[in-house]
Amino acid sequence: MTRALITGNQAAAWGARLARADYMPSFPITPQTEIIETIAGWIDQGEMDCRMAMMESEHSMITAAGAAAATGVRVFTATSSQGLLYAMEMIYGVPGMRAPFVLVNVSRGLQTPVTLEPDHTDVLAARDSGFLQIHCSTCQEVLDQTLIAYRLAEHHRVRLPVIVNLDGFYLSFTREPVEIPDPAAVDRFLPGFDPETTRFRAGEPLSQGVVVLGSVPYSYFRYETHLATLQGLPAYAEIAAEFAQAFGREYGALETYKSDDAEWVLFMMGSFATKAKDAVDRMREAGWKVGLVRPRLLRPFPDEPLRQALAGKRGVAVVDQNLSMGKGGVLHSELASVLYGQPDAPTILASFIGGLGGRDIAPEEFFEMIQVLRRAAEEGRPPTPRLLFTADELREVRKLQAVAHAERREELK
Amino acid sequence: MYRIRFHGRGGQGMKTASRMLGTALFLEGFQVQDAPRYGAERRGAPIFAYVRAARDPIHERGVIREPDLVVVADDSLVPVPAAGVLQGITARTVMLISTNEAAATWRDRINFSGSLLTLPVETSEQAELRFVGAASAGAAARLLGAIPRATLEAAVREELSALGEDIIRRNLEQALDAFDRMAEHAGCVNEGTAFSVADAKAPDWVDLPLDEADAAAAAIHAGATSVEVRTGLWRVLRPVIDYDRCNRCWWVCSEFCPDSAITVAADGRPEIDYDHCKGCMICVAQCPPHAIAAVPEQEFAEKTP
Amino acid sequence: MSEQIVTLYKRMKDLPSARLLGAGTPMCAGCGGLMALHEIYDILGEKTVFVNAAGCMTLLTVYPFTPFRGSWLYTSMSSAPAGAQGVRDALDILLAKQRIKAEENLDVVVLTGDGAAYGMGLSSTSSAIERGLDFLYVCYDNEGYGNTGQQTSAATPHGARTSTSTGARGFGGFKKDLFAIWAAHRPAYVATVIGSEPLDLARKIEKAKAMQGPRLIIALSPCPTGWDFDPMESAEIGHLAVKTGVWPLKEYENGVVTHTKLPRERLPVEDYLKKQGRFAHLFQPQRNEALIAEIQARVDAYWAEVSI
Repeated sequence: MTRALITGNQAAAWGARLARADYMPSFPITPQTEIIETIAGWIDQGEMDCRMAMMESEHSMITAAGAAAATGVRVFTATSSQGLLYAMEMIYGVPGMRAPFVLVNVSRGLQTPVTLEPDHTDVLAARDSGFLQIHCSTCQEVLDQTLIAYRLAEHHRVRLPVIVNLDGFYLSFTREPVEIPDPAAVDRFLPGFDPETTRFRAGEPLSQGVVVLGSVPYSYFRYETHLATLQGLPAYAEIAAEFAQAFGREYGALETYKSDDAEWVLFMMGSFATKAKDAVDRMREAGWKVGLVRPRLLRPFPDEPLRQALAGKRGVAVVDQNLSMGKGGVLHSELASVLYGQPDAPTILASFIGGLGGRDIAPEEFFEMIQVLRRAAEEGRPPTPRLLFTADELREVRKLQAVAHAERREELK
Repeated sequence: MYRIRFHGRGGQGMKTASRMLGTALFLEGFQVQDAPRYGAERRGAPIFAYVRAARDPIHERGVIREPDLVVVADDSLVPVPAAGVLQGITARTVMLISTNEAAATWRDRINFSGSLLTLPVETSEQAELRFVGAASAGAAARLLGAIPRATLEAAVREELSALGEDIIRRNLEQALDAFDRMAEHAGCVNEGTAFSVADAKAPDWVDLPLDEADAAAAAIHAGATSVEVRTGLWRVLRPVIDYDRCNRCWWVCSEFCPDSAITVAADGRPEIDYDHCKGCMICVAQCPPHAIAAVPEQEFAEKTP
Repeated sequence: MSEQIVTLYKRMKDLPSARLLGAGTPMCAGCGGLMALHEIYDILGEKTVFVNAAGCMTLLTVYPFTPFRGSWLYTSMSSAPAGAQGVRDALDILLAKQRIKAEENLDVVVLTGDGAAYGMGLSSTSSAIERGLDFLYVCYDNEGYGNTGQQTSAATPHGARTSTSTGARGFGGFKKDLFAIWAAHRPAYVATVIGSEPLDLARKIEKAKAMQGPRLIIALSPCPTGWDFDPMESAEIGHLAVKTGVWPLKEYENGVVTHTKLPRERLPVEDYLKKQGRFAHLFQPQRNEALIAEIQARVDAYWAEVSI
């Protein structure tokens, strides 16, 4: 085991290397390109026995990934944002082949306008596809979850591809201390790929990904895939327990931080959740009973663990770093659906949209979100959803609009 | 926690400098979080990098609002608002500037009452400026007080391991020299404290008004607004035309300039737009009578912010 | 050449003197692509709408700054020619229905890097040519995915070091012949240009501008950042690309390919290669004679086919 200071991208590359990925169809896109460059360098130096295929687009890349996994090799690939969206036809297409592989997504906001900075709208666009999703908040977690993801994908009751998500810039290009496990220990945790009966070879005719005529079989096949994703919850618990035994680090479907006795809870995913932990510590120092709940598993959505973690809380502030146009924050909707009608469900569920395009969330904003919960609880009704955005920031935008000759002619009421 | 911000230009090795310091702290058993931030991600364009170091796991992320140490590799960045050198500095911030001017001059210029230290810039040769980063890292290591000389050396070697021994040696010389130079200020940088609830002011949140579609779209309703961006700030070398040698050859320098930064008057006299010239020196290379000279930008720089 | 060319651009001093493309863009200092683009824009003018695919030049316009005095539309990495189809069709409809005046018409110009043009953009380009779209297509070719840090693209030449081909022999593949692929579609016009040959470029753009139908241009773009050389060498490396025969300057029209510059005595390719860090491994720690000879042989083979 080596302790190193590496970026999130390098941690993902180490995950692929330790998993002994056989094949990496690739396509570059900021902010994930360092992953494929690192692996390409190892392949060139003879340090990793993996074949890399530079594809011409992400649509082709995911097609190649699914096809190779269906043929019977362990596949690793990576993308972000616009690339993930370009692949979307096949992101929805490959899970139904029931061939497992791991896709690392380095989250980045979507156009229009184009940005290079992170948020979660991209990876959430894949949430209905059949890929499982694991969300990381530290570089160590990126490496560990990549290994766990292979076990999860290849689990006999799952057999589906898995997305491991890390935030662009805040994890991808940021170095943090990471323990790189010993390859022999990883081999014991994650043995060689067993394709079971999903494989192409002479003497074993197989027709994959076929057309189905008739809504009855179609319903069956689709729902079976859904049932398999739900198996992800018990499978993940099983695998994470083994991981903890082998490597000493615990990964539940939820990360909870000082939430057991908390009255008020922050609920958010990804790297910014560590900022929330910091804010929780400050608020605890001030005597407030605040905690954090962070889902690591997004698909399957961890319904029951969430009901347990949030039962009896007075208020939950959901911080969505994503935006569903015309509805609002995705986590907020999904959480509300889990809590509705449950006895002991938190009284107040507040929606905040923050961190779009990597916009920083300041400590005082976390403090204020809890104040909003308090006031809402006193008033007895939920606050209206809020975008975290300040008057100074709006002034900044107005200056840019002036340069762009984008004057507002009148305020629309 | 130590919170350190580095400022430099693309190509000066500032990302490497921040990593040298990050690695040195890591080798000394600190929890470390370091990251570069780019604006335009081009040679010459301002960049900055963060380093955080603490004994406990670090949960903070992103912008360092109140740095304990600000390291500036290129003093021409100080007066540039977009470079953000002076953001969040307080009386307890230590500033370390690579400059040939006196610390007192800088303190007056930026109206700073804290500790301001300088590192002399040995040369203005463009190639040599690549080692400014190593010197900055070495000096910063000494100012923190937590990094022994041997650890700094190990960190420099580790960060440059992919490059030749010659480059490693030259960077090490710079780093260790600067480390030694800062002896009398060793440990003057103190760890900062976290932001408390009591200190916090409620954020000035606004409800975004609904704006009309054409203003609310990322669309630019004007031509050539890019001229407002002073890419001339990227320059480390400036092309200067000797009009006695210039034979008004018609267009060579102006045609080749990728950035449309050389206009030609009706009488054939070329004029360089120094607000935008990036200092690529193609005009210098292509001018048939060699009438354009490359002059270090330092000789022209305005110092006052 | 078999016919007398009638052109506005007989000598360097006939080139346009007004610099239409605004300064202040974040392209690297010494960008060979920007050199070609500004020369092209100076001739095409502001009655244009540039339809762009993802690449370095997508950053020409970063809100609220644009260097264009005319218009610009960003689409996606693969579909810029389809975006051009939409804009051109819409303008034609507006003209036909007299909802805009003739003088409000715009020329539609696709602008992409080699990443899009040689790779994922081929499908939409092929279809646009097949539909006979009236547009100009400009590809700035810096032989790699430049904006993401110079990974190999289908335009990367044999032996080049990129961030995904770091071994001792560099890139094992070969540069795709995009000129031949486009020409096989029999469009109105295809040409290769380079910013360091502004007169040759001006004549070709002038000619293309006066035509109708699909007209496609590839501009070799020496790239200081991706090819690893000092920005000041950008024009000189362009000159060497032409003088060594590595970058043939030619055009396709009516089934015939004509070379507009025929280097009488080609310089050895190594004169071009050794100026670029991306080929340093061909010379250090020792010369890779076999690989240099291989590259030379391919250039020789190309010119052997070209009839004088």
